[in-house]
Amino acid sequence: MIKCENLQKTYPLRKLHGYQALKGLDLHIRTGEFVAITGPSGCGKSTLLNILGFLDNPSGGHYFFRDRNVSSFSDSERSSLRLSEVGFIFQSFNLLPRFTALDNVRLPMLYLGAGSDESESRACGLLERVGLAGKEYHSPLELSGGERQRVGMARALANDPKLLLADEPTGNLDSRTGVEVMAMLKDLNRAGLTIIMVTHDQNLAGMASRIVKVKDGVIEA
Amino acid sequence: MRISESLRTGTLEIFHHKMRSFLTFFAISIGVISIMYSLTLIYSMNFRTRKALEVLGHGRLKIQPKRYYQETTSMDKKEARDTLTLEDATALRANFPELPMVSPILANGAQFSHGDFNNGEYIAGITTEWKKRGWVYKVRGRFLNEHDVASFARVCVIIQNGGWFKKPQWMKFYGWKDEFQEYIKHHDLLGKSVRLGDNLYTVVGILEEPPLEKNPKTFLDLEGWEAKVLIPISTFQRLMGNDNSWGWGGGGLDSINVDTGKAATVELYKRRLEKTLQARHAGRLRLDVKDFGEIIKTKMADKHRDMYTVLIIGAIAILAGGIGIMNVTLATIYSRIKEIGIRRAIGATRGDIMAQFIIEAMLLGFFGGLAGILISMGGIQYLASKGDTDMMMVQWWMPLLSVLAAVLTGFLAALYPAYQASRLDPVEALRYE
Repeated sequence: MIKCENLQKTYPLRKLHGYQALKGLDLHIRTGEFVAITGPSGCGKSTLLNILGFLDNPSGGHYFFRDRNVSSFSDSERSSLRLSEVGFIFQSFNLLPRFTALDNVRLPMLYLGAGSDESESRACGLLERVGLAGKEYHSPLELSGGERQRVGMARALANDPKLLLADEPTGNLDSRTGVEVMAMLKDLNRAGLTIIMVTHDQNLAGMASRIVKVKDGVIEA
Repeated sequence: MRISESLRTGTLEIFHHKMRSFLTFFAISIGVISIMYSLTLIYSMNFRTRKALEVLGHGRLKIQPKRYYQETTSMDKKEARDTLTLEDATALRANFPELPMVSPILANGAQFSHGDFNNGEYIAGITTEWKKRGWVYKVRGRFLNEHDVASFARVCVIIQNGGWFKKPQWMKFYGWKDEFQEYIKHHDLLGKSVRLGDNLYTVVGILEEPPLEKNPKTFLDLEGWEAKVLIPISTFQRLMGNDNSWGWGGGGLDSINVDTGKAATVELYKRRLEKTLQARHAGRLRLDVKDFGEIIKTKMADKHRDMYTVLIIGAIAILAGGIGIMNVTLATIYSRIKEIGIRRAIGATRGDIMAQFIIEAMLLGFFGGLAGILISMGGIQYLASKGDTDMMMVQWWMPLLSVLAAVLTGFLAALYPAYQASRLDPVEALRYE
């Protein structure tokens, strides 16, 4: 599903030369895999995840997503890929606090052009699937951390993505809810979803089907 | 994103920041209020001018003998002078057959009696040419004809006021009632004999004015007091006496109304007619020739000034409102960078983000405009109830246009901030705390 060749990312800095976050990284991920990316802070994990999730373009190398070279896609092309092909789960949930849980889940569907009724029923179904039936009209501020993350997962699944990207999904949760969320990710993976997860936690990484270690902008063999 | 959803979330945002929205509404509504006021004024002025010209024609002149108080020096005041005569009018008609109208008028006050009813009325002697000056009437019976004039017939035509569709508020507090009009409204005088001065006349026709709202004469007061009883000018000269103690002609005609046909010919005929008349009187005639276009223009000048003042205030208020919206939108963008990042991450394009902020600002403009409309409609109704005839001319499309202006202001003011928002880098925005 994903093939990265000699992926590079340089952030322009004010003085002289830029900061090189990725230094020619090669990565191959097959459909249906559950990959954990680990590594110390500042090694380029997040940069890699942003590029894999079409939030950013690499400065060099090639990124093939489902056999399409997307490394030089325009902003709007990447937006539509984000909308329909991938789902994001964040460490700090990143829900819109003024919206209800339901509206948060509906948002990606609405951007895709779904109607009001259709998106509502689908969002309700997703919330039920993550065990939040009955909390549709709660604001994220009224939900616990675990519940918020489950809303985040429901939102990530809103447009039936092919790829789920999780950035420290349990980082802000206590260990018990963290395990619950991980179990849910495992379930999704078993149902056929490709998942890439960035984490510090070696235990969580152990639950993935493959661990990729990044160090200084390259993959540690 | 569908428009309905954008509107919904936009409204949500506006209600979420009540004070911010209120302040923006405030500026916008002041702008809308002044736009409404100026629109009504502009419309009213155009309407009046158009109607005035429609009724009077574009080439109208009014020839009157100059009154002694119009003279500036005491020598001129005391100078002996000729009066306008019916023969002058006939001569003008004969010399200038191409003129659409030469209508001499002789008017005086006289007692009008019918049965027990007795009232002083203003009576005009006219020729058939009178018909060509601003005819807005519906005739019952017939109008005066050439035969009446030629045979000194003792016949008269009465003009009946139209009344209001919906009486303006101020009229209800206005005590004066025209007794003559009240009387003829309740007594059909057609075919009856009435006494005017010392003689009996047969009422051969009733001219019904259109309802006052539809009568252009309601809204333009160019000809002053109008006689409501008309008789042939020849009869007037013979029977109403020519001492003319009430009239202004100094024993002669009150005025000759001339239609020169086109606005362009007014100046030319002004000179030619005056020359012809002076030649007939060996220069002893002192004339006051009025061009209706000039009269209308001076009447409208004050209103033009009012309108520009209000329009400028309105433009400033709208501009201030627009700057307010721009400021607010810029500020919200900085407080919502994270939200923009989240939206971009889940797939919103730059266009989506831009649309979101623009729609929000347009909604601000819309609601502010709506508030302005409510206030200004109240104000306009109030002014109209106090007798401001300009304000009675408010049209249905004026609120629409004003709201549109407010929405447009929101749109324009939001363009730059929304563009800024759409340019944010999603990765940076997501990381923003």
